[in-house]
Amino acid sequence: MAAGTLAGIAMLVLGESHLSLPGYLMNPLYEDLTTQGATVHAIGACGATASDWLKTVEVPCGADRFKGDTVFKGRAATTSPIKELIAKDKPNLVVIILGDTMASYDNETFPRAWAWQGITGLTKEIAATQTPCVWVGPAWGTPGGKYFKNDKRVEFMAGFLEKNVAPCVFIDSLKFSKPGQWATVDGQHFNQAGYQAWSANITKALAALPVVQGLKK
Amino acid sequence: MKEAGLALAATQGAAVGAVQYTNYATKFASFALRLVACTFSVLSNAADIPLYPTGPSADSSFVRFVNGTDAALELTAAGSQAKVQLDAKTPATVFYPVRAKSDIKGQFTQAQSKSAIAATVKAGEFVSVIALADGATLKHVTIGEEPDDFNALKVSLAFYNVSATCVSAALQVVGRNVMLFEKLGVNALTRRMINPVKISVQLLCSEQTVGAPLELGELIAGERYSVFAVPAAGTTRIFIASDAVAR
Repeated sequence: MAAGTLAGIAMLVLGESHLSLPGYLMNPLYEDLTTQGATVHAIGACGATASDWLKTVEVPCGADRFKGDTVFKGRAATTSPIKELIAKDKPNLVVIILGDTMASYDNETFPRAWAWQGITGLTKEIAATQTPCVWVGPAWGTPGGKYFKNDKRVEFMAGFLEKNVAPCVFIDSLKFSKPGQWATVDGQHFNQAGYQAWSANITKALAALPVVQGLKK
Repeated sequence: MKEAGLALAATQGAAVGAVQYTNYATKFASFALRLVACTFSVLSNAADIPLYPTGPSADSSFVRFVNGTDAALELTAAGSQAKVQLDAKTPATVFYPVRAKSDIKGQFTQAQSKSAIAATVKAGEFVSVIALADGATLKHVTIGEEPDDFNALKVSLAFYNVSATCVSAALQVVGRNVMLFEKLGVNALTRRMINPVKISVQLLCSEQTVGAPLELGELIAGERYSVFAVPAAGTTRIFIASDAVAR
């Protein structure tokens, strides 16, 4: 049996609501990554922004999967400080899947200073541990819905992340589909087929990154 | 090792900021800001996932304090006995997060001279309060900036001109016929992105060289810096400060 494209890589994967509920991204992504040989600890926290991963913050829902089945949490869910997670897991790759919670879809003005402060705060904490990292940006949704997700802002958010996540490497999820191609349940969260497609594309994109290829054993 | 504490008074609404310096030599390494928590509306319209905000109710705002005089001075926040010294080695504080539209009050003190600070910061704004000598007394200039050039791959360099005798300020890269900034008026700022290279700059006022070149040092990609042109004994001098934000 050939080694997977992510063989030997220990990943710490952090995300927002997409990683936090049954039928969402958590299980297909965990399974795709582990099928390719990675050891994965994935944690989701609904509504968590970048700066929320610098401390412990209560969130409305979340999930945690590490060497077993997913533990879906209700209001008991929290974020954890990234430095503590890295110190405990000792991953050789951190993957951040975050964008929708910082895009201010319902606000005409994008909060640049706040977003910059949060993003750079998290990337600096990761960089201080000398752990390579990858930041996966938001995917297209369907305009409207209760989060007011819209194509113009999600495109801006992806561009803002691309310019500001270094030294993390950016993966642009907008390249994985066309606007509206993946059906959503509320404008922002995808149906099962959408999450499976997003998962497959993330896994493929990760495996193609030079920084990830350099980690393979 | 000198330790000091500073509380910024923000009197509008319910905002209260508190700043504590625990290691002055490392440029105010510790910062604690207590604000009445922004309360986001968390509704539960969906059966499967509680609604959450996709951003803040207002953008972040920041304020810093700069010593543009030739001698050391002290910064005090209203309602606090704590003081921070700004001198030639550390001429500027970091940018402190503050609540938008709150009133920032404090005081610069130098010998017997004082300059009362009262500033308001807009959402998304980075405000610099710069102390200047006014004859034998102190004054200050407040300059706000709403940057849109955030980029982790480039260096962001600003140029502040608060020297009344330098009516058209410019910064030239030493050794090259390249102008970083040109024709900057008094009490104004401009900013641009540059590559993370080691350079020295020369100040020009009205196209005339003024003072000695300033070595900017190792500028790091993703970081933000400011060069200040300030009055100095009948002429103008320049210095550089990091635009770091307290975390």
